[in-house]
Amino acid sequence: MIAESLQLKSTKQTALEIRGKILDIGLPVTSSVSIKNSIAVGFGDGTIRFFDPGLTDPRVFKVHSGVVLCMVSNGNYILTGGDDGKFLKISFDGEVEEIADFGSRWVDTVAVYKNDKVCSSGNKVYVWHEGQKKEKILDHPSTVGGLAFCSNGKYLAVSCYGGVTVWERLDRRWKSSRFIYKGSHGLVSFSPDSKYLITAMQENEIHAWRLRDKDNLKMSGYPAKVKSFDWVGNTPYLVTSGANQAICWPFDGKDGPKGRKPICVADGGKQYSTFIKSLPDEEAIFTGFRDGTVLLSEIDENKNANIIRNPTGAEVTTIALTSDRSHILIGDSKGSILWSTLWAGRE
Amino acid sequence: MSNTSQVPVTVLTGFLGAGKTTLLNRILTEQHGRKYAVIVNEFGEQGIDNDLVVDADEEVFEMNNGCICCTVRGDLIRILSGLMKRADKLDAIIVETTGLADPAPVAQTFFVDQDVADRTKLDAIVTVADAVHLSSQIGEHHEAEEQIAFADVVLLNKIDLVKDKEIDIVKDRIRKINPYAKIIKTNRCETPLKDIIGLNAFSLDRVLEVEPDFLDSDHDHEHDDDVTSVSFVSETPLDLEKFQDWFGNLLQTRGQDILRSKGILDFVGEEERYVFQGVHMLMDASPMGPWPKDKEKTSRVVFIGRNLDTMDLERGFEGCKSA
Repeated sequence: MIAESLQLKSTKQTALEIRGKILDIGLPVTSSVSIKNSIAVGFGDGTIRFFDPGLTDPRVFKVHSGVVLCMVSNGNYILTGGDDGKFLKISFDGEVEEIADFGSRWVDTVAVYKNDKVCSSGNKVYVWHEGQKKEKILDHPSTVGGLAFCSNGKYLAVSCYGGVTVWERLDRRWKSSRFIYKGSHGLVSFSPDSKYLITAMQENEIHAWRLRDKDNLKMSGYPAKVKSFDWVGNTPYLVTSGANQAICWPFDGKDGPKGRKPICVADGGKQYSTFIKSLPDEEAIFTGFRDGTVLLSEIDENKNANIIRNPTGAEVTTIALTSDRSHILIGDSKGSILWSTLWAGRE
Repeated sequence: MSNTSQVPVTVLTGFLGAGKTTLLNRILTEQHGRKYAVIVNEFGEQGIDNDLVVDADEEVFEMNNGCICCTVRGDLIRILSGLMKRADKLDAIIVETTGLADPAPVAQTFFVDQDVADRTKLDAIVTVADAVHLSSQIGEHHEAEEQIAFADVVLLNKIDLVKDKEIDIVKDRIRKINPYAKIIKTNRCETPLKDIIGLNAFSLDRVLEVEPDFLDSDHDHEHDDDVTSVSFVSETPLDLEKFQDWFGNLLQTRGQDILRSKGILDFVGEEERYVFQGVHMLMDASPMGPWPKDKEKTSRVVFIGRNLDTMDLERGFEGCKSA
């Protein structure tokens, strides 16, 4: 077997590669989030690196003894889960506070809304409410695959085998409602207007429910597993990986994408897309591919995509933007990082 | 697919009380100098030689593809992809299954999930069997039978408690179910770890090397629930299209009863040997180079499963011969 990149063989450096900095950290990049106006990146050796605009070298902190499996940020601090069983809060200055330790059980997913901190380990979800010492434990039928708050924090979606449990926050308790569909559900997300609930499945498909009436639809036909998705624009579009393009499903109107075809942009040739990141306000997306290429494209099939990053030979595992959208960070499974200003002339 | 960067995964099965925990303890406490991750169900021990212990609950999921025998281990997909993100390279991963587990979903996980298949490979299924109780367990629990049927290696344990003649009877019983398995006789699972880890038993080229250890004797069995094996050979080349029709249909309709299948095939007009192996209705197949000069071109198929006598296998296989 030969590994060859069939994607857009370009020997020319991209504008971002010339302008920015390429770091070969040599550790698998697992995730990244924006915090204040910096980006925090998690690695396979339990370190977190903060990339700050204006600085070329990141600040490094060793926080987990194993892999940083998952990470979220509320803008002021980050929460991480690791294969060392720890659920940690990490400040912008790298100060670590252990919230919980589950021993040899992993912390697979994390979520945050304001100062409410949530993680899952096994089939249980643990919620630390702001101002309450003791955590609330929510049970599920199987290991949790994904966690997500809706935009106003009122609902918490928890995916697992057989569907999603949506927990509604009431005064003193959580009330649950099940959204059922056979199969194993992973990544979960609410649409920005909280009308729809989306999951990526173990099968090569995604599933959507309308929250109001639980009407559901499946979006299948992907050649690979959908590992990443993001919401883009005002329509909004749900843009997913899992094909040799970025697949954009429209969630406007009464029925969303029901009976409609998706818009397909960011043609990756024979490479499958592995990571999707929205460029807010621009109706544009960054699409990362299995060979390390990253394309920037508008949600318009008639427009060509721009190459942002050339192939590295390793799957794109994360793309993040600083909160002011001045800087972009791209990371891959072998630890190559591109850190650059997004637009020319804005240092 | 073979890829040198794939981490080998050894699956450890064994009926309750057979000695699986003894073996796990050995793997975790021996100074083997290698880096293993061991995925266990509720296990108190920690490795001393750098081993990584991961706690998991067996979660067998049905794939949503309309096939009831296509089940996978959801927890394994999650944990294997997590382990692949580690900065330090693992030499091997060992998966312990519970005493009553069916090994099929574990094996099928490696066929079904692309990420798992890209980064890891099923190395071998090792079954620890209790020489004293195996015969009665096989009769009473279909899980015990399945664990033998799926095994690449059977550690026939506790032989110090059994007379030589009885050991032979147990071995015959094992061979009747699974003529492919290598049987290692042990006390307290004392055998070098190289006998059970790093065997590459699931790679297709191994199908070429391992000669089944068939008993010449009778094919009789006590009741229909028994797992047995049958094999067929043909000196006449086979017709590719006829074989695909027959075999495809067989796995589709009877895949639930066929636990494992393997074969080396000689097709008319094809220079290369064609090798396959399957677990229930999932199959991996590939051309594996030309036939050796000094060997006859003989097609051979082996089935391990239940109710094989009702599948008209011999007639079906005969029907694939080129006219």
